[in-house]
Amino acid sequence: MFEIRESKSSFFVCFEVYGVRLKVSCFSEGLMREIDDNLEFIFPVGLSGSKGTRIERKISVRTSKNFRYVLFEGRKKLTYSNDKNPFINYFFGYLRRIVAEFAKSFVFLHAGVVGWKGKALILPGRSFGGKTTLVRELTKLGAKYYSDEYAVLDEAGLVHPFPKTLSVRGIVDDYQQVELPVEEFGGEKGVEPLAVGMILLTEYEQGAVWAPRYVNGGFGVLELLSHTIPIRYDPKFSLKVLNKTANRAIIVKSKRGEASDFALKLLSFFEKKAL
Amino acid sequence: MKSSQVPVARKEGLVVQETSEEVLVYDLNSNKAHCLNQTAAFVWKSCDGNNSVGDITKLFENETGSAVPEDMIWLAIDQLKDKELLQTVPADGLKGRSRRDVIKTIGLATVVALPIVASLTAPTSVMAAVSCSCLVPGDCVATACPSTVNCNASNICAP
Repeated sequence: MFEIRESKSSFFVCFEVYGVRLKVSCFSEGLMREIDDNLEFIFPVGLSGSKGTRIERKISVRTSKNFRYVLFEGRKKLTYSNDKNPFINYFFGYLRRIVAEFAKSFVFLHAGVVGWKGKALILPGRSFGGKTTLVRELTKLGAKYYSDEYAVLDEAGLVHPFPKTLSVRGIVDDYQQVELPVEEFGGEKGVEPLAVGMILLTEYEQGAVWAPRYVNGGFGVLELLSHTIPIRYDPKFSLKVLNKTANRAIIVKSKRGEASDFALKLLSFFEKKAL
Repeated sequence: MKSSQVPVARKEGLVVQETSEEVLVYDLNSNKAHCLNQTAAFVWKSCDGNNSVGDITKLFENETGSAVPEDMIWLAIDQLKDKELLQTVPADGLKGRSRRDVIKTIGLATVVALPIVASLTAPTSVMAAVSCSCLVPGDCVATACPSTVNCNASNICAP
């Protein structure tokens, strides 16, 4: 993807994504190449090369006497492992989170996103809340896939695609995630930024009945803060963007049952109330 | 010199965002966000160091066109004080009564919405992102994951 350079027996690449300039270095050329080859998987959009000047975040993978792989940000040791694959998976997630926190001109919400008839439906939620499952079911019904992890909002409150592979649980076991492209489910990626029609705060609960409750204005924004990655880093910009988004959208809260039964009901509600 | 009976809104260390109906206030010191409904926002904005509680009551009556008991303003001030959104706080105007008792009295006396200040502690980026993937148990800090003490064989913070 990018030129791998060498310095003091470590290998590195510099790149920019969502306005964040990063340098990633690694003790092993092979591992560095593997990371570099996966950058487009980690950041499906917004990636560009960088000369390596004015670097803001320095992430390094080092090795130590006790552990084969040790992750650092700057001089701070973050975590470690002797197993390559789990380390790489963790590392990819970490890179995404760093960019989500420090992105310029964008606010990242931890959320699933689909597009339906020209407007976006955002599904903020915690892990294990069923975001990916619901996004997958919605794309099966023809909704455009934007993301199963981040709603990327610009200054005008539009949501941009972050169409990473879906991280699906339940294939190997209830916990482990398997990365699958949306096309695997017959889905299609969205391309254009969309105005947000509806934000649905929902979680799966066995036997739950759909009972939508509207959350108004500022109280809706307050609900979204729990899922806003840069809220502590840049509260002023985050609040401004969330407010713009919430002004144009309806914010609804409800528990839900099985995603396969709920998806059609949700799209019908979306069409009636949010388009 | 300002009287101790004149409430003064805090200005420093806050980010304020007006929404269509409410006011959002982010406290940079505590990383807490507050949503003030119209009534609470009006009272907060009126705490300019010149208006007494009596003055604010009259201003609010003019704004809403409804008679409002002074207790309504005190109820807002009591919440704003709790959320550390006041710089100068007048002596306890609720006179030791609980908010519940005051609300019962006010509820019968006015049609105007009671003041509400809803709050939330802003999450760190780790908490907001909650990936639940881990390499060692120490990575499991997000309370939203199935476990905060165990990194399982699938490298997930779960049993």
